[in-house]
Amino acid sequence: MFCPQCGANNADNAMVCTQCGRALQTAVPAVPQTPMMGTPMPAAPGAMLPPGSVPNYLVFAILTTVFCCLPAGIPAIVFAAQVNGKLQAGDLAGAQQSSKNAKLWCLISLGLGLAFIVLYGMLIMAGVLSGIGHRYN
Amino acid sequence: MRMGDRWTWAAIITGATGIGMLAAFDPATSGIFPPCPLHYLTGWYCPGCGSLRAIHQLLHGNLAAAWAMNPLTVIVLPFVAYGLISHALSVFWGRALPQIFLPAKWIYALGVVIVVFGIVRNLPVYPFELLAPGAMLRL
Repeated sequence: MFCPQCGANNADNAMVCTQCGRALQTAVPAVPQTPMMGTPMPAAPGAMLPPGSVPNYLVFAILTTVFCCLPAGIPAIVFAAQVNGKLQAGDLAGAQQSSKNAKLWCLISLGLGLAFIVLYGMLIMAGVLSGIGHRYN
Repeated sequence: MRMGDRWTWAAIITGATGIGMLAAFDPATSGIFPPCPLHYLTGWYCPGCGSLRAIHQLLHGNLAAAWAMNPLTVIVLPFVAYGLISHALSVFWGRALPQIFLPAKWIYALGVVIVVFGIVRNLPVYPFELLAPGAMLRL
């Protein structure tokens, strides 16, 4: 189970969190854990939701920021932060909305990067072709 | 096959092809890799400029040369690789690798670090100028 205080992953029968020492068995409602990402589970309002229950796409946000282009990747990172912040606050609907936005901005960033690669490839092709044309003119 | 599987396969094939090409060709000397859009259009370095050259150097075991190209990439890459492997495992195997929950503040801080890194590596002032791609190689 995940510690509601610090988010560390503990054994399901652990009495206290191995990382921060918080009591686990009394404080945590028996929420079934599913290993898959993206399957939100009901929880008491205001309590921290299980970490990872709403995907934040942070890895993809970093990837598109560092390998595609800066401007579109930054919102993806901001929305990824919002997902975790809202999970910490127990706001499931808000976390899901931020998760959607994070995914959207990752895709925008990826799309811009791919569009540039295609455009650049076309420019190279055009340059090569016109270069060949000049040679034989 | 689920849609997620198909996208994951496409990403794995693309990634493997990219890594293979990065191992075989040096982006610093061969022209087959696209340049950074921001650098191409404005002449400014972005936080990711030099990342392909850094990965090429890493694939050849040259940690110092990779660090000189883009220190941020060298630091972030292990975590990104772990996250990608974990994601692929969760799609195919139904189980992700153990994850650490990052509090929102840490992610905001990471975003700030990336943006600040992208800004300062453009400054023509010591020591920030050393963060430009390859500048440390000329020391």
